[in-house]
Amino acid sequence: MGLAVRKSNVPALADEPIKIGSGGGFWGDRPLAPLDLLKSDDLDYLMIDYLAELTLSIMTKQKRRDPSSGWATDLELWLAAGGIHTLRKKSVKLVTNAGGANPESCARMVLEQANKIGWHECKVAVISGDDILPRLDYLLENGEEFAHFESGEKISENGAEMMSANAYLGAGPIASALEIGADIIITGRVADASLLVGCMLHSAGWAHNAFQLGLTRESPVADWAPENVRNPLDILAQWTVAGHLIECGAQVSGGNYSNWGDVPNLATLTLPIAEIYSDGVVKITRGQGGGGMVNRGIVAEQLVYEIGDPAAYITPDVVVDMRNITLEDESEDMVVVTGAIGKPEPESLKVSAAIEGGWFAASSLLVSGPDALGRATACDAALRGRLSALEELEIYTEFIGGGVSLPENIRQRVSSTLNPPEVLLRWAVSSTNKQDITDFSREVAPLVLTGPAGVGGYGARPKPRRQLQFWPSLISRKSIEPFVRVELLTHLRITQESERFHFIRKRTRGILSRLQDELDDREWTRPIVKKLGWESNDADAEVTNLQEKEVES
Amino acid sequence: MSDVIWIPLSDLAHGRSGDKGDAFNIGLIAHQKNWIELLENAVTPELLGEWYGDSVSGLISVWPMPGIGAINCLLRGGLGGGGTTSLMLDAQGKIWGQSILRMRVPVNKKRAAELGVSLDNHSEDQWDLSHLC
Repeated sequence: MGLAVRKSNVPALADEPIKIGSGGGFWGDRPLAPLDLLKSDDLDYLMIDYLAELTLSIMTKQKRRDPSSGWATDLELWLAAGGIHTLRKKSVKLVTNAGGANPESCARMVLEQANKIGWHECKVAVISGDDILPRLDYLLENGEEFAHFESGEKISENGAEMMSANAYLGAGPIASALEIGADIIITGRVADASLLVGCMLHSAGWAHNAFQLGLTRESPVADWAPENVRNPLDILAQWTVAGHLIECGAQVSGGNYSNWGDVPNLATLTLPIAEIYSDGVVKITRGQGGGGMVNRGIVAEQLVYEIGDPAAYITPDVVVDMRNITLEDESEDMVVVTGAIGKPEPESLKVSAAIEGGWFAASSLLVSGPDALGRATACDAALRGRLSALEELEIYTEFIGGGVSLPENIRQRVSSTLNPPEVLLRWAVSSTNKQDITDFSREVAPLVLTGPAGVGGYGARPKPRRQLQFWPSLISRKSIEPFVRVELLTHLRITQESERFHFIRKRTRGILSRLQDELDDREWTRPIVKKLGWESNDADAEVTNLQEKEVES
Repeated sequence: MSDVIWIPLSDLAHGRSGDKGDAFNIGLIAHQKNWIELLENAVTPELLGEWYGDSVSGLISVWPMPGIGAINCLLRGGLGGGGTTSLMLDAQGKIWGQSILRMRVPVNKKRAAELGVSLDNHSEDQWDLSHLC
């Protein structure tokens, strides 16, 4: 069995940029929008970030109820609506974290879609190892504390059960998957920007170089760069910024823009595309044939979106200094991004976990008439009076239309001058006691008959829902990276390509065998670390054929 | 007469906000890159503290991003516990990047005029909130 490295597998990146489109910003964004982008433009890659902070907690719950669920089902919507056909026809590689809490099941769905259109040679890579819940006890015993980012509280001090816990993986595994010929890559939790960086590590030949050098996959991706690359950290920083800019979909192509009135045709807003050159220059543009806009102001708004200290935007691959990034309008809908500075990758990886909180519900009523605010205040007081015996119940009231988008002290300053024709009275409540929430839900609609006049718009009693509490923390790389798996699925049979950058480190051998025991209970499992070469199994014949094709081409 | 006048932030900058746990950030970009000196002088942690009052309980940081003529503000403890446990309708702090554009900020009248900043909506009083009503 020889190496399945295809020379043609490493596209030349010279004057022609690599084009990476973004299919949306979160699970819940316009599900079919990726189809339009695929059809209107010639992309090398399509990346889609489906995971917000809490998404994985919800997916983990779903997977407990149904072992085949726990991934972003919107992916299936657009693949089945013609997306899989277009990916194949236009040779676009898809890289997405749609796998969520269950990348394997998500990948099976993708292979089913491929089979339906006769794309039997479609290769789907599954990247896993981000989910640390199965290893949590072991990690705690071995010194990981999961101290909360903000409070510093250790998870052991809190005592709550973790509902989900996922480390943010970097770009390395994605690049590895592309190197072994994956057409579609399904991951769990991966840092948003790393989806793009992984594509570039492959397209710019860094992953190929790393393989030639015999580097381990745990080696910093900056070390993967070919010798002639003089500033690998800065190039990684530029790629990371490109990923950051397009990972929220249309927010960089005209959506959510302060000068919203300038944006043509929001109804047909197209998705963004990053064009990336070999020297690290990044250009942001957008799909053709629809509304939207890309200009310096829009890209600047997305650059600052959800960041902290701009001197240290931390990803698993590189720490980016954004302070000297400059943006220039090159032409209509084309902005050039330069000036990101890279610093070495952080020693720790972020872990996004959720612990179970109390119970929650929300409900609202519409209040109208002269002195609508006064009526709403009386209505709120009536509700609170009727629930005053419930000591655990926290009630949060918002008078929507009465200045809730102003800080409270500003609202009070202007309250005497406000006279809105109506107010939407909204309550959100929480309690450790589920019955408190039920009691609340029974007191809302009656206010239409038993409150002040002019109250309407009631609905069904809201059901109590479990709250999840977000628990961000850090974990050492050595607790995560040796456990990351890159598997290639084809023909609905799972085979495993070599982990070609992956060697066992002696000091982790004990941990590996322990983890393997847990994982081998699942039928798809193969040993984590393999020497180069295909796993011998039932699918061998098909796989060998594929491999020969690769070597030939 | 003071050299300092108060103008709505919207006349100086545009912005976007989002959540980071129980904190939210507001990135503010000067309408023109050379207005950054006004923006940096005007929007300080102290001013943000006065605007938000008790609505933000934690530390407020402001960092410059001179390359794009912007500042990034991080306001901790402002989302009622954060997106997952918050009882606020906008638990992700998405609105604050626009809502804050109505805050009055101090600028040097002469310098602002030199730089071409509109002073049409200016006031001598920080707490002149007539433009909100």
